[in-house]
Amino acid sequence: MAVKKDYKDQKLAEKLRDRKYYIPDSNPEFIKDVEKIGQTAAHMCYQCGTCTGSCPSAPRSSYRIRLFMRKAVLGLEEEILTDPDLWLCTTCYSCTDRCPRNLAPTDAIMAMRNLAFKRDIIPRNFLQTVQLIYKSGHGVPNNDANRAARKKLGLEEEPETTLKYPEYLPGIRKILDHYRLKENADRILAEGE
Amino acid sequence: MSKNKHQYAFFLGCIAPNRYPGIEAAAIRTSKNVGIDLLPLKGASCCPAPGAFGSIDLNVWYAMAARNVVLAEQMGMDIALVCNGCYKSIWEVNHKLKHNDELRDGVNEVLKEIDMEFKGSVDVWHLAELYYDPEIVGVKKIADSIKRPLTGARIAVHYGCHLMKPGKERHFGDTENPMWIEELVAALGAEPVQYRNKMQCCGAGGGVRGYDLAHALDITNEKMINMRDVGVDAVTEVCPFCQLQFDRGQIEIKEKFGAEYGIPVLHYNELLGLAQGMSPDELALDLHAIDVEPFLKKIL
Repeated sequence: MAVKKDYKDQKLAEKLRDRKYYIPDSNPEFIKDVEKIGQTAAHMCYQCGTCTGSCPSAPRSSYRIRLFMRKAVLGLEEEILTDPDLWLCTTCYSCTDRCPRNLAPTDAIMAMRNLAFKRDIIPRNFLQTVQLIYKSGHGVPNNDANRAARKKLGLEEEPETTLKYPEYLPGIRKILDHYRLKENADRILAEGE
Repeated sequence: MSKNKHQYAFFLGCIAPNRYPGIEAAAIRTSKNVGIDLLPLKGASCCPAPGAFGSIDLNVWYAMAARNVVLAEQMGMDIALVCNGCYKSIWEVNHKLKHNDELRDGVNEVLKEIDMEFKGSVDVWHLAELYYDPEIVGVKKIADSIKRPLTGARIAVHYGCHLMKPGKERHFGDTENPMWIEELVAALGAEPVQYRNKMQCCGAGGGVRGYDLAHALDITNEKMINMRDVGVDAVTEVCPFCQLQFDRGQIEIKEKFGAEYGIPVLHYNELLGLAQGMSPDELALDLHAIDVEPFLKKIL
């Protein structure tokens, strides 16, 4: 099928083209993986479109949650996992809140993102958060201006977290290493440079 | 649940302590004034960010959030927190692990490597829900704690997403047009103002702020228009990440789209602090990207 959209990240775009991701084959196992990871019976979707109608991303992009739900049922794994729109869900859960089938389209999207990551398809900002947490325990770490402000407030310069107690960091790193998350984040980020 | 419903382990998250420390200072003092002690949760980490971590590998998200819960279990205390994103991670993982044995066993296998075990012995609360709960604090006690009513201030409430949604799995009731935070705002003597599409997302979540800033800001911009159209002196929320998106976002919107709103953005704890008599300096309001001065002039 024709590729109409592209990642702004040129390296990732080239990688996807090189690997010939765009094949028409359907994978019937895909919906089962989505349902298992997302813990929602996505195949029960009857395509009413309440989800897309509730979605804050839909009016300003080509992202259509209903389309992702349908493609998942049809097993169009390649199309789903390579679509840059997959990452435009703000996870606001409006679709999940309103779904008349009591499904969780948001969690189905999260599952599809998990499956994309397994193939190294992931925007860089997600991996950078992993690196930050590995380093300090925080996705948004402290800085000097903030330390000065904290002191003025009568708070300690470092909050009572891993920042003040770095002895807790090895435990966090062990969890991340168990899933080889830092290693994979480093590798994928390096490949994209 | 812990035995003492007036003492909680305070889970800080990232953005409150590291970008808006006034929220942390205000939470501790304002809670004390209504009978709630917030104690340090030593060694806590990022919740971790549900959008970023959940998108990569939900199993890591479960394990990392569980570690934070276990720290509170070791203190024998329920967790209180001030951020919707943290609430999604900490409340939801705690809830899932309590009700899903398979998930809990998987997480405990990993936690065993760092000599920890998730037992499911504590609960997790957002401070805002503790303030609203008449059995813990209640709107009346909030109103009684006010020394400087925010009379005349028109305030828009942004509920954010991850505190109340998905409603089916939470306990907050109506998620289409809730009014309980408006009650908490009215208790401060201010006038809560209704605006179009109140429950819409700020635009930042799910990793979208980092992935496609212009897309995230376009969502934020729609909310700013809807608030401006009804005339508000400030917007309040209960989520530092939403706060960042509205506060710094207004600067970014001006740069990218040329639109300017100048609407101050205050976490509910900052508002409560002002109403209880804390000074702007004690809340580090100078760290806000959008000048809070016009709002202060109106209420001080």
